[in-house]
Amino acid sequence: MFFHYVKYEGLQLIRNRWAVVLLIVFVVLCLFAVSNGTGKVTLRKAETETAVNTMREADEVHKAKIDSLEKGLLSLEDDGWRRRLNYIGNRAPRVAVMPPASLAFLATGQSDLYPHTMKAYLYVNIETYAASFTELSNPVQLMFGSFDLAFVLIYLLPLLVLAFSYNLLSEEKEQGLLRLTLAQPVSLYGWLFNKMLLRFFLMTAIVWGSLIVALLVAGVSWSFGILPLLGLVTLYIFFWFAVALIVNVFGKTSGTNAVAVISVWTVLVLLLPAVISQLANNLYPVPSRVNMIHEMRTAKAEAEKEANKILASYYRDHPELAQQDTTVKNQYQFYLGYFASQDVVKKSVAPVLEEYREKSEAQKQFVESFRFVSPALLLQHALNDIAGTSSRHYEAYKNRVIAFTEEWRAWFLPRMFNNELMSSSDFEKLPSFEYNYDEVASSFAADFVALLVFAVLLTGISVWVYRKEGLEPVLTS
Amino acid sequence: MIFTIAFKELKERLREGRFRVMAIVMIALLAVAVMISNNYYQWVNRQHTEARENARSVWVSQDAKNPHSAAHYGTYAFKPKYPLSLIDQGIDKYAGVSIYLEGHTRNEARYMAAQDQAAISRFGDLTPDFVLLFIIPLFIILTGFDAFTSERESGTLRLLKSQGVSSVTLAAGKWLGLFAAVLLIIVPVFILSIYFLSKAKDFGEFNAGVLALLFLFYLAYYAVFSNLTLIVSAWAKKSGISLVVLLAVWMVACLGMPKAASRFAESISPYPTQSQFMAAVAEDERNGLDGHDPFSTQAKKLEEETLKKYGVDSLHKLPFNWDGYLMQRGEEHTAEIFDKHYGQLKTIHENQANVYRLASVLSPYLPARFLSMALCRTDYTAHAHFSDAAEKYRLALMDNLNTHFAENSKYGDWAYKADKSFYAGIPDFSYEPKSYGDIIHANLGGIGVLLAWLAVSALLVVWSVRKMNIL
Repeated sequence: MFFHYVKYEGLQLIRNRWAVVLLIVFVVLCLFAVSNGTGKVTLRKAETETAVNTMREADEVHKAKIDSLEKGLLSLEDDGWRRRLNYIGNRAPRVAVMPPASLAFLATGQSDLYPHTMKAYLYVNIETYAASFTELSNPVQLMFGSFDLAFVLIYLLPLLVLAFSYNLLSEEKEQGLLRLTLAQPVSLYGWLFNKMLLRFFLMTAIVWGSLIVALLVAGVSWSFGILPLLGLVTLYIFFWFAVALIVNVFGKTSGTNAVAVISVWTVLVLLLPAVISQLANNLYPVPSRVNMIHEMRTAKAEAEKEANKILASYYRDHPELAQQDTTVKNQYQFYLGYFASQDVVKKSVAPVLEEYREKSEAQKQFVESFRFVSPALLLQHALNDIAGTSSRHYEAYKNRVIAFTEEWRAWFLPRMFNNELMSSSDFEKLPSFEYNYDEVASSFAADFVALLVFAVLLTGISVWVYRKEGLEPVLTS
Repeated sequence: MIFTIAFKELKERLREGRFRVMAIVMIALLAVAVMISNNYYQWVNRQHTEARENARSVWVSQDAKNPHSAAHYGTYAFKPKYPLSLIDQGIDKYAGVSIYLEGHTRNEARYMAAQDQAAISRFGDLTPDFVLLFIIPLFIILTGFDAFTSERESGTLRLLKSQGVSSVTLAAGKWLGLFAAVLLIIVPVFILSIYFLSKAKDFGEFNAGVLALLFLFYLAYYAVFSNLTLIVSAWAKKSGISLVVLLAVWMVACLGMPKAASRFAESISPYPTQSQFMAAVAEDERNGLDGHDPFSTQAKKLEEETLKKYGVDSLHKLPFNWDGYLMQRGEEHTAEIFDKHYGQLKTIHENQANVYRLASVLSPYLPARFLSMALCRTDYTAHAHFSDAAEKYRLALMDNLNTHFAENSKYGDWAYKADKSFYAGIPDFSYEPKSYGDIIHANLGGIGVLLAWLAVSALLVVWSVRKMNIL
């Protein structure tokens, strides 16, 4: 009996136009979204590659020039080349690149807000450098957001699922088939659940198929890396079927059901995120950057008054930097004074920056913990996480670059204090930048489990509602 | 007859539990959104007033120092927030709020709020524009999707027709009934905004006429959605299908189209990345504007010309400090370079804006979105206007510093210090936003598109109702 139902339903579904239409719509959406995502990733790769190549070419030119100088083939026509450590440290900045993660095309996430190529100079104005981690873009585009796979999955997929399932029971009732069905020895709930399950499998197959086709067409090199994606999407699909199931077991008309499922979608995908985001802004406001600027300026003004008299005390704090050969005047004298004064300024400004950074981070974490109220938020969080485009990835990049500017400086400073010259062989020893995605802890497991809990919970609720409502209202209304 | 139908529609809705719940939720959402935005607006404005005062006092209280040190020390310009941002926050969250004004370089506005917020905020915030532009159209759809389908399903459409009601009367009645429901929700909210805006006077000018115009634009937008709802309801066989189709329409208009248009805009006229932009500026600085006559060669020529003009053989003998003079010429030269590159950014933005304009033909959301931002002074144009004004001030400031240096010191006298009173005497940055007349003039195209949507959809309603199958 049960087998007959499955077979009959399955045949009907396949012959139904809905399934075909769904498949086509979804494949087209996925293709468009994936091509958008890979387009962005390609541009990002090209940009970072150009930056790195330009740096390498400049290095070669500088190396050749220094080599010629060392061999006496060239004379010093320019003072900058006499003080070449200073020259290289500042005019041949290291490029610090954040290469895209392998699944970056999935979700634009926060990647449109931040740059992926920064430069580490010897002289960094900390007041403006930290603020320069901002990508140049059309704010209108940022406001509208990207048509990426994340958008298709988070917003559109639920609507397709709901359009496919809002009238599972009501339609049967409206066509008068329900009485016939119930005359058979099957439980209404079991019958309904199987109907839903069948659609769930079909939908999952459509989605998986579309995703795989889109990835193949876009020529994305993928591997087991997409398994987490498929897992998340499957749970998300199940969740929305469970929503439809609950609405169905109330036994109302198709029209009412449609309004109900759309209301649920509106609340979970549109309203809750907006409310949470706004609540967070008000309950836990981001510290005012405008105030930060003032604090920074005040600290800087104070520090600059001190800064001019400090090279002497700088040596007191850093005896290791004192010049070994004291018979000659240090050619970098002017810059060393500048370094020393910059350090004083930095010491006073950095705590202000750090304080604001910590507050902003605390706020973000607080808000992110609210993602557990809606599966849409969970999926967004998880997709940004596996795409390597979350706030945390960019925060890590920013911190890493700022730390690298220190590293870069630390390489030059002792040499300059010791009145050394840069030699052509030194280029190999220069520190280089590397961004490591593994340094950012993944929260995939938490998001996955939470989605699973949602799916199970909603199925449980559907059973509860069914028991509470009973068969009567369905049949007698 | 029209009013009888409209009245019947409205009364029926008011009796319906579903409608009442939705209406209450809508009004609550909007009221909360307006109140929250009002708080936010006051908070931001307090900060900005304070910041402007602070920046000025830091500038004024500088110790005696070399004018060029002051140029490097720089100052800040803070973007003001306007009263109508209470209704529409526009792009504000995605644009920086402060511009660092220093010598030698033009800086971008920094500190966009979006960077300090978690990724959740990319779903949107509960602000009035979010509710007005996204949620109310959904509400219209949920209220009116069964306007004709339910009558057809229950067989009353046939009865109605047999009474001799004309299609136009029927459509007009249904439309009025639906639109009255919308008015029920947004009128109180606009009254609440007027209350807050009239109280917010100390923070900026409030123009009642502009608020009224904004209200009219929103009404036109809702009228378009009411029309679309009736059209689909007239054609659909069943209520459920009508709703699903309308939802797809909403989805395309409000979410899909803007995003897809962004993608096409970016592929037609892409923005450079920050590092590409900086590299292009640096390239021009090194090789001269458009690859010829870099400033170093210009400087040499200028030196010869100036010496000749004053009939002296050495820079020391000039009646002014050559360093100050040359720096000012250098500043003007880099200003030209920045002007060129920022001009290119504007062209790119204009090209992209044209794509959105084109897409407006497919989505009524887009013209409404852009008109609302423009009137609330939270669109890109308002931002760029501020950024240009800040740059103008920066150039005047640098001119002031360099000229003072040139006229009051001798060549090579880098130890020269201008005293406090000189810095205090330099005028403060003051900013006047674009006038509403100019804003409206610049957006006539958008107004036209919105009105065209209104007219065409209205005609389609009449046509659809005429063709409607009453069985």
